[in-house]
Amino acid sequence: MIATSNLTKIFQDKKRGEIRAVDSVNIECKPGRVFGLLGLNGAGKTTLMRVLSTTLKPTSGNAKVAGYDVISQPEKVKEKIGFLSSDTGLYHRLTAEETVSYFGRLNGMEQNILKKRVDEIFERFDMNEFRKRRVDKLSTGMKQKISIARTFINDPEVLILDEPTIGLDVVTSRGIIQFIKKSKQADKCILFSTHVMWEAQKLCDDIAIIHKGKIWEVGTLEQLRARTGLNDLDDIFVKIVGE
Amino acid sequence: MNLRKVRIIYFKEMLETLRDRRTLISTILIPILLFPILMFGMSAVVVTMMEKTEAEATRVAMIGEEFAHSFVFTFLEGDDFQKVEVEDFESALKEKEIHAALEFPSGFEEKLTLGENSEATIYYDAAELRSSIAAEKLFDKLEHYQDSLVAERLRDRGVERSLLQPIKINEENLASQEKMGGFMLGMFLPYMIVILAMVGAMYPAIDLTAGEKERGTLETILVTPVSRLDIATGKFLTVLTASLITILLSTASMSLSASLGFAQMSQFSSEQVPFIIKPLPIILLLLLMLPLAALFSSALLSVSLFAKSYKEAQSYVSPLMFVVILPAMINFIPGIELNWGLAFVPIVNISLAAREVLLGTFRWEFIGLIFVSTFIYASLSIFVTKQLFEKEDVLFRT
Repeated sequence: MIATSNLTKIFQDKKRGEIRAVDSVNIECKPGRVFGLLGLNGAGKTTLMRVLSTTLKPTSGNAKVAGYDVISQPEKVKEKIGFLSSDTGLYHRLTAEETVSYFGRLNGMEQNILKKRVDEIFERFDMNEFRKRRVDKLSTGMKQKISIARTFINDPEVLILDEPTIGLDVVTSRGIIQFIKKSKQADKCILFSTHVMWEAQKLCDDIAIIHKGKIWEVGTLEQLRARTGLNDLDDIFVKIVGE
Repeated sequence: MNLRKVRIIYFKEMLETLRDRRTLISTILIPILLFPILMFGMSAVVVTMMEKTEAEATRVAMIGEEFAHSFVFTFLEGDDFQKVEVEDFESALKEKEIHAALEFPSGFEEKLTLGENSEATIYYDAAELRSSIAAEKLFDKLEHYQDSLVAERLRDRGVERSLLQPIKINEENLASQEKMGGFMLGMFLPYMIVILAMVGAMYPAIDLTAGEKERGTLETILVTPVSRLDIATGKFLTVLTASLITILLSTASMSLSASLGFAQMSQFSSEQVPFIIKPLPIILLLLLMLPLAALFSSALLSVSLFAKSYKEAQSYVSPLMFVVILPAMINFIPGIELNWGLAFVPIVNISLAAREVLLGTFRWEFIGLIFVSTFIYASLSIFVTKQLFEKEDVLFRT
């Protein structure tokens, strides 16, 4: 579902010179599983996810998402993914319904199918109460629901979630965790990045530890425990990155 | 390009733009209200001043009045002149106690009766409008007095007065009513329209680029299955629409308030200013503005896409405003005419051509050339905008 081969992204910075934000990354995420990307701030998580969602082009290497090539078929890739991050904002001057419908139309959905899908999603995420209200008048929790609905409108095969719970209160982040669990049951392939260890421990089937753009370790939680001889993911993480 | 997706983006951007208060003010409210306020405000001030001037008597100090009894009696008494006694006329003028002073030398009238010549001096303050008007009035009165003296002297010598005026000079204004209207409008309309075309596009351009970066919505649209070209096109068309709405509204508002405003002012002018604007010049002006609006829209989009935040974009756009205002002022410089060289200078060419067209001169070869050259500049600018939308370091500039 997601497979990368030596995926590399280099930025040129005037002051710091060459920055290898993603450095020869090889990972594989499968349907029905949550793949956790664990790393400190600035480890390269966001850049890797942006390359996979085709908003950034890799410097070298390649990746396939839902069977499509990120370099040569970016539009196809974007049709198959749902991307959510703390950086993906919502249009303040649109209503909840207008927002979700807009992304449905951009995904090429026909009007009658879209209408049914929007009804279903508003029902499912319990959003009918604020359906006609403008986004700038809504609470953070309501906005987060709209973001999830937006990500989900085209029923994507692959979900790329970049620290989706960052800065959210307990109730709202619980909602997101539940959404990830349900998506997993629906056989979606989920790539999920976080720097909150207990979230990863609770959710992820596979865990990759990313540091300074490189993947330092990949495996299930059990495999990581066995390799390091430690139990807690916090300890495992610190031991691997050595800081 | 996927036209269906461009249309979806365009309609959504328009909906959002029309819900933005800042854009509504700059795109719709300002162009509608600016001209009536300017026009009626200005003419109201002029009318009030005129009325006040007419109601108030002109206060004059007479120096050596005793030497000019009959002049003062015949010409100044009973008129709107008011004699004021002052000690020192210079300080009285400075303190605005008097508007002007009139000085006669000793034996002024005596000399004139004897057929000799004399003089009179008007003191006034040219930096004060009321004082200048008073001086002009006194000058007229003295000339009138002089005329009657000349007539008297000629009569005494048995000479016909017409001998002094062998040529009767006639003057007739052949400018058509349309041209008079064009003359008034030709100076201001192009200038205002060019600037407002920019102002109308400014806020939507910033809001749809830097504003989106700030709110994080640019990344949201980048992960949808839409090409960068489609996104750029949808945004460009939205900004262009805003600019065109501003141009249309301001042209309508200015033409209307100009005809009403000049009609109101002309009641105080000795010459009647007839005011007629024909549709063809206005249509041509709008046509010429079309590629210019496209040029402004794409330039504003490029500059503000580069900015990281709304504020940063505003600070980039402000200097750009001067780049537009200065060439738009070309019509205020007297004597500059459209030529083959100037026809290639953006903004300058359209300002000059718009004035000509409003004056009723249609040099089609220039109009065509200006349309095409501005269209080419706009296309180049749109190409730059498109390139910037493809650049990661511009889109994700942090």
